[in-house]
Amino acid sequence: MLSTLQPPRSLTLLPFRRLHGSKTIASLASSSPTLDASSVSPPQSQILTTRRSLLSGETTASEIAKSYLSRIRLTEPQLKCFLHVSENVLKEAQEIDQRISRGEEVGPLAGVVIGVKDNICTEGMPSTAASRILEHYRPPFDATAVKKIKEMGGIVVGKTNMDEFGMGSTTEASAFQVTANPWDLTRVPGGSSGGSAAAVAANQCMVSLGSDTGGSVRQPASFCGVVGLKPTYGRVSRFGLMAYASSLDVIGCFGSTVADAGMLLHAVSGYDRFDSTSSKQDVPEFESQFLSMDSFESKPLKGVRVGLIRETLEEGVDSGVRSATQEAASHLEALGCLVTEVSLPSFSLGLPAYYVIASSESSSNLSRYDGVRYGNQVMADELNKLYDCSRGQGFGGEVKMRILMGTYALSAGYYDAYYKRAQQVRTLIRKDFKAALDHNDILISPAAPSAAYKIGEKKDDPLAMYAGDIMTVNVNLAGLPAIVLPCGLVEGGPSGLPVGLQMIGAAFDEETLLKVGHIFEQTLNGSGFVPPTLPNVA
Amino acid sequence: MAATRALLAAISACPRRRMGIKSSNFSSSLQFQRQESRIIARSFSSYTNSSSLPDISCLAETARISLTPAEIEECEPKIRQVIDWFGQLQQVDVNCVEPAIRAEMEGRNLREDAPQTFENRDSIRASIPSFDETYLKVPKVLNKE
Repeated sequence: MLSTLQPPRSLTLLPFRRLHGSKTIASLASSSPTLDASSVSPPQSQILTTRRSLLSGETTASEIAKSYLSRIRLTEPQLKCFLHVSENVLKEAQEIDQRISRGEEVGPLAGVVIGVKDNICTEGMPSTAASRILEHYRPPFDATAVKKIKEMGGIVVGKTNMDEFGMGSTTEASAFQVTANPWDLTRVPGGSSGGSAAAVAANQCMVSLGSDTGGSVRQPASFCGVVGLKPTYGRVSRFGLMAYASSLDVIGCFGSTVADAGMLLHAVSGYDRFDSTSSKQDVPEFESQFLSMDSFESKPLKGVRVGLIRETLEEGVDSGVRSATQEAASHLEALGCLVTEVSLPSFSLGLPAYYVIASSESSSNLSRYDGVRYGNQVMADELNKLYDCSRGQGFGGEVKMRILMGTYALSAGYYDAYYKRAQQVRTLIRKDFKAALDHNDILISPAAPSAAYKIGEKKDDPLAMYAGDIMTVNVNLAGLPAIVLPCGLVEGGPSGLPVGLQMIGAAFDEETLLKVGHIFEQTLNGSGFVPPTLPNVA
Repeated sequence: MAATRALLAAISACPRRRMGIKSSNFSSSLQFQRQESRIIARSFSSYTNSSSLPDISCLAETARISLTPAEIEECEPKIRQVIDWFGQLQQVDVNCVEPAIRAEMEGRNLREDAPQTFENRDSIRASIPSFDETYLKVPKVLNKE
């Protein structure tokens, strides 16, 4: 047993409360009458509430879409979450309204306003991976995940900002703009899916898609105070996701609640013949995990075994983050979990192993961007010079650095010393996780060593930036699912900065993560992580 | 491993106090260390032989990326620092450890080898920077002799 604890601060009896900024939500909700902030507990899921209110006629998809577009117009000058906002949002919303008025079936995501990270292909809409080399590129096809969203009635509101080709942890490596953290506009939102995380935090969209190669969904979720869900490798098709590191990349989901992130994941999961690494494992009905708080027992997580990773609370982790994680562990114990400390001896090897593997695979994956078949071309009088100049002028500094490092690690004489050795370390890490998860249902850790830092603070220091991924990369190396959800605040910014708790599950056991995450979230005192800094919708 | 921990310590320049949340009491199995307020100087053991450090110009040529002299000057120390940091993997005992290409696979997962026409070929053509009827246009390839 981890501790002899103080009684929990709150359990099932407290209503769900929002922090400052609830007026923002109420104002937005005025166009959706069922989202009345003055009524009883707010919905657990914006997806479910949207569906109920559309089918009951309380609101329309057009009204919802207009309110989100209005909020984007109001907040984008400060936040810069989007690289492109779709011109078809109202048209798609009207089509849904017409289908409903004709009594036709609409999908489970009907009317849900969704942001999509810009490295995920969307037909006819720019998809640049935040890189100049793809500045005007419009894919001729949708990624499988996007295709599924559209088939279910979801509305892609726009493409979100990111670090170029997923290489970064702040969005500062974007070729076009830097996204601001809605909690403090002078701080980074995290990365590389910073735009997707910030857009959900700022209520510019209900849910969003990101990608996670070394933590690029989970870290920005922590920095922005939203839920970020990384599925098991193979759970979601990577077809249409611009590859960074093919053995590590996954598409992940953001939501303001665990339920929303889980339902979006369910929508985009499943086998895809266009992705040979896509899994044929059945996709469970995640929605059954999202019970109303009224139905919780007094110890709703009784018997769930939780391992707190010892190495994640050592020197170098911000004291506020450590405290928040330990508080979260206490809260899980109060909910009935059996929390013990576990050790992953290979833990700290994950960071260099990850960067060797990711750089190496990226050097291969990004060789397709040569200015010949798509993207920006710099004309030259000789073919190799065309490649050199198109890539030299099209790629940003961080991308070039990682390609060069990867080229080195894969080169003759160094392949065994770097890439192969990193693959062997990956085996050690997988074994450690498997051993820990044989004795625990989930593992927990902080999502990042600190809360969001200032824009520009780590921009010129690659190792300092890389070190921030220490909590997340091992999960990608092991191919496991993980969820990050806000668990507390630390000092900083106008009203504090959110800190996320990471929960890691066994392969393809997203169900347990969602169950534990949902109950944790719904019983957490002061939950409702709403950034206070942004203006209300007029 | 010590290098990675030192790196982590170096990135946390200033302590942050938690707002309004009391610390819990835990059993002695948890070590709760107070964070230094000064910046801890980074020190990395040099794992890599200096003669094996990368030649950035050669790497750029291999990767088909042109770099200006200013870019080489800026990125060379950073790349060398990171490669040097990679070197800590040399100290890990991986004897008899199989390399893992990716997370566990479920077995062969290949589709039928049957071609399928892509309907939106015009959209593909529209993305090509230089296109002439049925050909992608590129400059000539010059022999280096």
